[in-house]
Amino acid sequence: MTGTRFVGTKFPRPEAPDKVSGRALYIHDVVRPGMLHGAIKHSAHAHARILRIDTSRAEALPGVEAVITGFDTPELRVGFLRENRALKRDKVRNQRDEIAAVAARDPETARRALELIEVEYEVLPAVFDPVEAMREGAPRIHEVDGRGRPTRDNRVPMECRHHSGDLEAAKERSAFRVAGDYEVPWIQQSCMGTAGCIAEFDANGDLTVWAKTQIPFLAQRDFNRALEEMGLEGRNTRVIVTTLGGGFGTGLDTHCYEYIAILLAHRTGRPVKVLMDREEEFRYLSPRQSARVHIEQGCDEEGRLTYREVRVLQDNGAYASWGATFPTVMLLPVTSLYKVPVVHFDAEIVYTNNTYAQAMRGYGNPEVTMAIESNLDELALAAGIDRLEIRRINCNEPGEVTPMGARVGSCGLRACIEACAEKLDWRAKPGRNGRLRGVGMASMLHVGGSGRIYRSDASGIILKLDDFGNVNVFYGGVEMGQGLHSTIRLAIADSLGVLPEKVRVNPTDTATCPWDVGTHASRGAFMACNAALEAVRKLRARLFAYCVDLFPREVERALRKQRAGGPPPRPEGGAAPDRSSPPSAEADLSFAQGRAPGDFELEKGLVFVKDGPDAPWAKIPLDRILRAIHFREGGDMLTETAFYDPPSELPDWREGRGNMSAAYTYGAQAVELEVDPETGEVEILRFVSAMDIGKVLNPQALDGQVLGGLAQGLGYALYEEVKTEEGAILNPNFTDYKLPTAHEMAFPVDLVYVETDEPTGPFGAKGAGEPGLVPTAPAIANALRDALGVSLRTLPMTPERILRALDPSAS
Amino acid sequence: MEGGLRHRPKTLDEVFRLREREPECRLLAGGTDLCVQHRGRLGETPLLSLRRVAELRGVARSRPDLPGAADLLPGGECLRIGAGTTLSALLNETEIERGFPALRAALSAIGSRQIRNVATIGGNLCNASPAADGAPPLLVLDAAVEIASREGRRLLPLEEFFRGPGRTSLGAEEILAAVWVPLPFEDEVSVFLRKGRVKMDIAIASLALRCRRGAGTLSGLRLAAGAVGPTPLRLRRTEALLEGASLKDCGLVREPGGRPRAREDGLLARAMDEASKEIAPIDDLRASAWYRRRLVRVFLERAVAEVFAQ
Repeated sequence: MTGTRFVGTKFPRPEAPDKVSGRALYIHDVVRPGMLHGAIKHSAHAHARILRIDTSRAEALPGVEAVITGFDTPELRVGFLRENRALKRDKVRNQRDEIAAVAARDPETARRALELIEVEYEVLPAVFDPVEAMREGAPRIHEVDGRGRPTRDNRVPMECRHHSGDLEAAKERSAFRVAGDYEVPWIQQSCMGTAGCIAEFDANGDLTVWAKTQIPFLAQRDFNRALEEMGLEGRNTRVIVTTLGGGFGTGLDTHCYEYIAILLAHRTGRPVKVLMDREEEFRYLSPRQSARVHIEQGCDEEGRLTYREVRVLQDNGAYASWGATFPTVMLLPVTSLYKVPVVHFDAEIVYTNNTYAQAMRGYGNPEVTMAIESNLDELALAAGIDRLEIRRINCNEPGEVTPMGARVGSCGLRACIEACAEKLDWRAKPGRNGRLRGVGMASMLHVGGSGRIYRSDASGIILKLDDFGNVNVFYGGVEMGQGLHSTIRLAIADSLGVLPEKVRVNPTDTATCPWDVGTHASRGAFMACNAALEAVRKLRARLFAYCVDLFPREVERALRKQRAGGPPPRPEGGAAPDRSSPPSAEADLSFAQGRAPGDFELEKGLVFVKDGPDAPWAKIPLDRILRAIHFREGGDMLTETAFYDPPSELPDWREGRGNMSAAYTYGAQAVELEVDPETGEVEILRFVSAMDIGKVLNPQALDGQVLGGLAQGLGYALYEEVKTEEGAILNPNFTDYKLPTAHEMAFPVDLVYVETDEPTGPFGAKGAGEPGLVPTAPAIANALRDALGVSLRTLPMTPERILRALDPSAS
Repeated sequence: MEGGLRHRPKTLDEVFRLREREPECRLLAGGTDLCVQHRGRLGETPLLSLRRVAELRGVARSRPDLPGAADLLPGGECLRIGAGTTLSALLNETEIERGFPALRAALSAIGSRQIRNVATIGGNLCNASPAADGAPPLLVLDAAVEIASREGRRLLPLEEFFRGPGRTSLGAEEILAAVWVPLPFEDEVSVFLRKGRVKMDIAIASLALRCRRGAGTLSGLRLAAGAVGPTPLRLRRTEALLEGASLKDCGLVREPGGRPRAREDGLLARAMDEASKEIAPIDDLRASAWYRRRLVRVFLERAVAEVFAQ
């Protein structure tokens, strides 16, 4: 491998010009010939039996091509527990349940047709609180599970726990113990680009889906299963990923609307697009999982943690999507953030008649880090230990094996904590104009080497060199705005030895790209670059093997040409070489002959012999070599693949043990703020974000990831909450659901990268997509406690909640 | 019924004629509220745009020559603000910048710069949101509205213009033509305080105060609050309590941290109690009634402190 040249430098994104000039094709822009528009009728009740659906008036509306319900279409099962159906038949279990759908010539007609569908319900008692849903006699959401077996209660059959050490003994041993109850809300991923898809069958019955997805290959599997359920055995789905206007976890599952588009396309024989507008996205797609977290931590006289006990209760809503699996990720920070010898973690996930939740950036980690880090500050207070000091005392170290069996490779947490200590003024200071000033911090730990939640956690890549020296990359992961494609570019340019603009990353398509488990768990760059490095090694080996024979001839040719006055080879993108000293007539070509593959090198698109003469004619452009390999008898083209599966273990969730990631990313954030004790208004003065991300691959993309994460963390901490009443979403728009804007982010952020050089990472890098969001809310909560002397344990920490915390008797 | 932009008349007469013929049309000024109300499906509503009606735009000093002017605008010379004047245009007026700090603060709190470039003062008032930021400062300025129809023009105190959430005194044939604001006194002070959930947001509570500094007392005091009742509210009982009060009467002290504080035995503390009785806030998605009361109390305390500090 050549030394790194582009990795670690700022480089423009290949997709940026199309995005800023409006050329990029989002799902909204994709049009297929003859395409119809689908719309979905949703439930009017949170829990009701469907008695009758009358679609006759909708069918009679001019422009309507099809109206379907669960009664006249094959039953398509949805979700990893298979208890959801694309179109509901027996009953509705929440207000977003899909009961009928229309395909029409335009979206307006489709919407009008929905209003003509009449549904008769028998309303059933409903339950909206997970505690109530666990009580005996509570309305049963599912009478049978996904396999048709009778259920015993409303608990979701998902076990995830971890018990290590003697909890009672540890409690007795502790000099200080602090407990607390935390609550975090549903929030919306709020992608700038709303969701949608197009489904189209060809005449053979094969399906193509243009999807806004982060899991094209798992979607292919899901849709192929749907084809089977539709009686189309042996047919295949091709998933084409359009330009994504943000993912944030929304694309980690397949959704009812996608299956409905497939059913409508099959019924009509025409392509069908289903598009969500903002309000529909709020109402009918899955927010981030909410949670109630009980935590207790203890320490000895010196501040060493003695135990951590965490019990999580999740309102699962009506069906299981990935929200139900948040405890599998909570497991990591609960067992492994700081050195803690005894850990007890239990999670209960309960069906209710509320909306159901999906993945979002951080996936369980911010939920539980809020509790761990906030409670840790309270423990420090109780023990009379400085807040920074308690974190230093319990800091994770390289080489550590945590209670869950996470094997810590690189770990820069200590340096991250020190950066927070140095960059803020931790002394008590008064605020301005009667406001109260506070400083706080929180640490975090997240998977940094992908996270194994399936048996395969792999990513495949294909690198195809063409006659022009382009490196065409086919990668199954998804660029959703995070900068993955530009990172792949830099990594391949450096490792192969070409200029970045020669590396062309193709759109993700299951027909052309090798399998990838999905773009989640901060894995994109880690996985893609590791796979790319392996493919590059193979490419270089084959290229240099051919050079043994072909290189001398090419040098001779170059020399001949140059003597004849032809243009000397120009390094790609570089200045024209010096022509003032033409090679001497008697230039010795023997240096190029009888060489071994290992003698060759490729740099900036030029092939040369490592100890050969430093002359223009002795460096042959890659494209020339590639053509020489191609255009001859018995010619060849260089295409290499790699399939990288990281060194990690699929945890045993019931025991909560296993080294789930090949590397672990650490970080800490600290904040200085002022709060107005009379209005509860919070003003952030500055933030420090110190992240141990191994090595910086792509500084521009990394800053974007960390700052974007911090902005989302700020929203989570102070503003965002999906509000519901009897299962209905009350604030399904940005008028009533508040995201932070540039105004709220108008404070300086000190971005610090602790570069630890991770041995399993490409160029030493670890995953960095999610961490920016993880410690933000507890850092703010801790600063608020510092300012106000009270603890805020419910997100978002609104001014009203702040005032009520200050004055609990207020009515 | 065809939706979308049907007409773009250039004169008020044309507007009246078209409305008579097509009463189903909604009037479009800046459209910033209509867009939100129609959730991006504005194209399905028939619209009559007022944006080309030049006589609705502009700010000028003028004497109202309308029935009732002598009672409603006794000072004579006023600022006449065309209802179609954009918020940005108003913010660029030196007259507003110099003479009406509360109005200016309120207008600059509305939306973003892009919103203010199209949103109009008339639209802000006709939308009749209890939270309309333009309303409280105009209420404390004793503004009157000029209402036009085919039959002619009439003046109405702004306070009587608001009838409830989304409801105004405008008849089916009438439109809001202008807002008349008496010119400020030499020693006039005005303050506007508000809070949203984020900076660019509908107010969850707001308060405007205007008075003359007189001889160190609050004279000619006017108070109005937004988002704490079915309409923007004048707080007359609170005004009466504080009218003529001095700093000493108010019982305002400055805490060591620099925050003004109304002593419990002072007049201002009583006025704060009165104000929280005079308003009628509700619990909604944005805030609780309890929090809105807290805000109005704090705003009053701070606004009075601000007056004495100036």
